[in-house]
Amino acid sequence: MNQAEVSKLISQLRITMRPNKRHLKNSEGPEGRLLKLRKTVTALVKHERIELFYNRADEARGYAELLISNAIRYGDRHKATMELADYWLLEKQLVHKLFKVLVPRYENFSSSYTRMLKAPRDYPGIYYKKSVLEFRGNPFPALVPDYTQNRNLLHNVLLDEARKEFRREQLAKMANKFAAETAAPPALATQENDAGN
Amino acid sequence: MNVNARVLSNRLAQQCSLKRIVTFSTKPTQQAAAVAVPQQKDAANSAPVRKPIVPAHYRFVYPEFLPDPKVEWRNTVREKLERLDMLDRRRQIELPEFYVGSILAVTSSDPHAAGKISRFVGICIHRERCGLRARFILRNVIDHQGIEVVYELYDPTIQKVEVLRLEKRVDDSLFYLRDALPEFSTFDEQMEPETLEEGTPVPINDIKVVLRPRPWLERWERQNLLGVANIDQYIKDKHRKSAEKVQKPWEKYDMMKHYRATIPEEEQKEIFAEVHTELHTLELQRKRNKRKRSFVKPKQLA
Amino acid sequence: MSQILLRNIKRVGNAGALLTHSSVASPLTVAAAVGISHQQLHTTPACCEIRKLARLRVVDNSDLGKRAMAEGRPPRCIHVYNKRGVGLIGDKVLVAIKGQMKKGILVGLKQKQRLKQPQFDSNNLVLIDDNGSPLGTRIHVPIPTVLRTILKEKTLAKGADYTKVLAIASRYV
Repeated sequence: MNQAEVSKLISQLRITMRPNKRHLKNSEGPEGRLLKLRKTVTALVKHERIELFYNRADEARGYAELLISNAIRYGDRHKATMELADYWLLEKQLVHKLFKVLVPRYENFSSSYTRMLKAPRDYPGIYYKKSVLEFRGNPFPALVPDYTQNRNLLHNVLLDEARKEFRREQLAKMANKFAAETAAPPALATQENDAGN
Repeated sequence: MNVNARVLSNRLAQQCSLKRIVTFSTKPTQQAAAVAVPQQKDAANSAPVRKPIVPAHYRFVYPEFLPDPKVEWRNTVREKLERLDMLDRRRQIELPEFYVGSILAVTSSDPHAAGKISRFVGICIHRERCGLRARFILRNVIDHQGIEVVYELYDPTIQKVEVLRLEKRVDDSLFYLRDALPEFSTFDEQMEPETLEEGTPVPINDIKVVLRPRPWLERWERQNLLGVANIDQYIKDKHRKSAEKVQKPWEKYDMMKHYRATIPEEEQKEIFAEVHTELHTLELQRKRNKRKRSFVKPKQLA
Repeated sequence: MSQILLRNIKRVGNAGALLTHSSVASPLTVAAAVGISHQQLHTTPACCEIRKLARLRVVDNSDLGKRAMAEGRPPRCIHVYNKRGVGLIGDKVLVAIKGQMKKGILVGLKQKQRLKQPQFDSNNLVLIDDNGSPLGTRIHVPIPTVLRTILKEKTLAKGADYTKVLAIASRYV
């Protein structure tokens, strides 16, 4: 029954995080753990898509999300946010990338800023789960094949049928119209003459 | 089926808009549907429903309305019920705004006391816990004897909570007053309440207290206290070194740690939007009552 | 040798000053303390629980208690008269005070207390004799109101009249 801390306001994460942190085995304690995560976050901001062990990716993901949401919320004029960016991004040119590339990209997003996918393990190799961590809207080709255009999907079948039916209707209409025109051109001509008189 | 549960569930259904809450109604489904339909119509008629704008300072004034940030202990239904109960209690008794460092007088019924009532005046040195269990610690020195009393804010035996002096201190909790000279926690019991003008921000008292020599109850030199004047006077180099060793400067940057210790902004908005109207009307009512009480009929001059 | 002795005197003197909470340690107490060796040297804060050998503070104006406190040799609890062995508020304890064994009643504790019950900065004791009547005539600190109920109950159960302690209280909290 602790009281929530009220001095800070943080936006809600759009991903589910574990209730507790992972310690990420490290001989240098919590500081070493953060250094590990800083390296991951820096790499993520730099390359936009990285492949790494699942645990570390999952931990780093929350920090990357919060870094971006803070940057969006406060902008680059806010001292604390700038310090945060300075701490988390080990290569300083990436601070510019954060505020000039990522913030405009994600300003109007309603989903999470990162995506995490499970990656295959090496066999035989270390028995750790692997994953791919990437920013949404990155310039690389998509990792997951796009199945939305598959013809066998039910909605695509239905759409196809609807399209076919529509076309059939259109054709029938055109045929009717054409038939009507060819059948009674003199009547039309007389009408026109009447109108002229 | 007990009647209470049904009444409660009805009340919940009226007040709550959260989707996650399931009201366990004992009514047959058709009837429930018939009840539900007119409500929808009402909603459609008053289409643009304006959400109340919650003031930003509410999270400081009513921190106990925010639930425990620990995810394992969260229970949306319980939190909601607790909030309803808190509002109910606030309708019965005036629980004013106060902070750590404010001076309070708490009157509570006490079966052991002579008049069955006891009043304790003291400085609030700590506030903790949330929901109905929210509590605070008062400290005072009476007859050269330091005394502390723990009160629960929503304790039904509390009869009156007065704020004698509304102010904040520079630290989050003032446990160091236990090791400070007694004059820093001595407050007169016959103190008159000091009134702040409406609209003024709560003043921050940056008084620096003077500690007694060691031994202390806690290792204050490790806690980066702002409200203590003379820690350096009593500590040696070895204390300084060990204090440096236990510092955690990286915690400032550990965003997930902060995130796990707070309730996110969106959720706070949702919670306060739910209780805001009620709290606001209670505040207004209190102000009106105060004005009434402060009005003194002018004496007729002979 | 003399240096070591001097240092010892200094340390013990400091300890004496801490115990009495007075800024001036008279040469007499220092001299007295040197003879007693390490018993006086407390490096840890007092235990919050009242167990055997816990140091207490006499808060009545009995001659014995006043002298013991003034000398900086507060009484030590040598027995707690309950089944737990840890003294709670209103419990009777046996104390060693200035070489004598006296009984006393705990009237204020440092330990965590229940809701709305006061927690004191020191462990307070009122000396009583075997019949339950206090040795002093006044208690100069506030005592908790719960004592009223607790002591009345104990009086009925035990035969000795403890309510006289309530009569000499100056004020309740």
